Amino acid sequence: MTDTPAAHPTDPFDAKAFNAAEGLDPVDPAYAKVLRIATALNLIPLAIGVSVFDHLLIRHVDGPYGLLTALAWLAAIVVILAFPARRVSRWGYRIGDGQLRVARGWLLRTDTIVPFVRVQHIDVGQGPIERWFGLSHLIVHTSGTHNSTVTLPGLPADLAAAMRETIRRHIQTDFA
Amino acid sequence: MTEAATAMSQTGEGGEAADWQRLHPATLALAIAGLGPRSLNLLPAVAALGFTGNWMWIVPAILAFLLLSLVVAWFQWLRFRFRVGDDALVIESGVFARQHRTIPFDRIQDVSIEQGLVARALGIARVGFETGAGGQENDAHLDSIGLDAAQALRTTIRAHRSGAVAAPVSDSPERAIADADRLLFTMGPRRLLVAGLFNFSLAALAVVGAAMQFFDGLLPFDFNIFNPMDWIDLAEDYGLDQWLLAHRWVAGIGAAASLLLIGFASGVATMFFANWNFRLTREPRALRRTRGLTTRTDVALPVRRVQAAILITGWFRRRFGWHELRLQSLASDGEKDRDHQIIPFGRFAEIDPVLAEVGIVRPDEMSGWHQSHGVVALGGLVGALFAALGGLAAMLFGQPLGGLGIAAGALIAAASLFGARFHRWAEMGDQLAIRRGWWTQRTTLLPYASVQSIDLKSDFIQRPLGLATLVFGVPGGSALAAHAIPAIPAATAHALRARILVAGDRR
Repeated sequence: MTDTPAAHPTDPFDAKAFNAAEGLDPVDPAYAKVLRIATALNLIPLAIGVSVFDHLLIRHVDGPYGLLTALAWLAAIVVILAFPARRVSRWGYRIGDGQLRVARGWLLRTDTIVPFVRVQHIDVGQGPIERWFGLSHLIVHTSGTHNSTVTLPGLPADLAAAMRETIRRHIQTDFA
Repeated sequence: MTEAATAMSQTGEGGEAADWQRLHPATLALAIAGLGPRSLNLLPAVAALGFTGNWMWIVPAILAFLLLSLVVAWFQWLRFRFRVGDDALVIESGVFARQHRTIPFDRIQDVSIEQGLVARALGIARVGFETGAGGQENDAHLDSIGLDAAQALRTTIRAHRSGAVAAPVSDSPERAIADADRLLFTMGPRRLLVAGLFNFSLAALAVVGAAMQFFDGLLPFDFNIFNPMDWIDLAEDYGLDQWLLAHRWVAGIGAAASLLLIGFASGVATMFFANWNFRLTREPRALRRTRGLTTRTDVALPVRRVQAAILITGWFRRRFGWHELRLQSLASDGEKDRDHQIIPFGRFAEIDPVLAEVGIVRPDEMSGWHQSHGVVALGGLVGALFAALGGLAAMLFGQPLGGLGIAAGALIAAASLFGARFHRWAEMGDQLAIRRGWWTQRTTLLPYASVQSIDLKSDFIQRPLGLATLVFGVPGGSALAAHAIPAIPAATAHALRARILVAGDRR
């Protein structure tokens, strides 16, 4: 069961990345931008909500008006600017030897291996933000109750399609 | 009457209308029996009528409700039909929104037949089809058809399966037929009684106690067995009160004795109701289990679908050599349990032959057990800390009951520290044994071939200690409690993962 090595360059973009030591490939750096936009879309409405709350309520009860607003926007900006790049550097994957390996997280790190023969079916998905940057995510379904789906985000669209084809050749029809 | 389904001559759906079948008409009688609990919904309306003084409308309102429910049930019965085709079962249901479902026989893992008390009187049975689609609501059932029709349907589906899947099966068909329908395990009344006594349950006590509190004013006798004062009152009737006040411990013993009696009686009763006439037989392709006193269930578990075995025993019953065997597969055992209870209460001499049928080996104490790191106690310790802090805060606010929180915290901490020493695992050829628990000991026997994916987890606590946790993706079982080996050295975890994946590949 020999597989073509991943088409992606193996040297990690960050020398200090966690992945290098474990022999994993990094995901596309552009995924940081996707994450940043997604985080911004989540956090900015929240910050606006806090500002409105501050304006409507705290000012009326003679509280420290402006404190909550400042804190909320500060936290949102720090999270949006600093965190996505760090999160992306913790994602890693390796495809080969008849198995897919996906690792994520640092504080709570999970390193998952799915043998190709255990894959039930595969999805390649692309959200609107991902499409903007030409990225896709790969979802592998297994029949296990735990890990019934394993998601690998931040792949260039053509690489995701190539990986799907690689795995597809190994899928068994019967599960037992 | 027991003729399952009258052949339909409806000409609505094309030319193939001849084979369509309906549910058994007696199903409507079941619907009436089911109305009892549901009419509780009517209570607020009845109360409202009563409060507004419209007493004469209560009976007509109840009658109208019953009539409406019956009409709805009748419409549902009328619009439900199914067809047993050559290689698939087709079910159409729904009064307004029609649902059309096709289930290929190849995908049916398990056909279960279940009969409640009313259903047994009527000679009908509920047939469940387990397809492994996940989730109770995804699995189809016929509720209900005649018992003979149900058995015929199961035979049809089994025959199809054994005909179609014969080729890729590893064990030869001749051998399979030779040992057809062998009786593997059975439970007589004597065994049930012993099992029930070990099944001593304090949970039932809570129910009885709560009920006595609740119905205190309603009971014809004014006696709470949990209240020692009531025992003193009882003694008073016999002129024993003076003696008893001097010896209060007698009243305490009376209360304790009735607690024990209720605990044992409920344990025996649940065991008798669930497992009456328990029979486990080996059929050509499956293990078949029939059991139940009022509700009889008949479940077949295909041997090739078994993913893992779980041995459960208690601290006390282990001293006497009693164990419980469960088998995990994609199918789930009824409404409540995820895993099939194959031997509710038996000895290793009875469990080993069943395990041999599914190709799993039981570990012994010599199997080279490894221990997890003591850090697994951390979760319990954090919980204990929060309980103690909560108790402390309550005490600071002048609530003396907060001391209970501190005591509970100390107890939880001690239990988790002690229990952490019982997380063990062993590698046995190409299967894994994972054992945990001291009070209730669970041993999971996991063949490498069942492992679909492996997680190697480490976090900010385990990583500095050089530890990692292995989590296995296995079909079936509970989504909340995956099989895992917690907190073992990272190098061991990496090596074990590689070995399991290679073994699974070889299959």
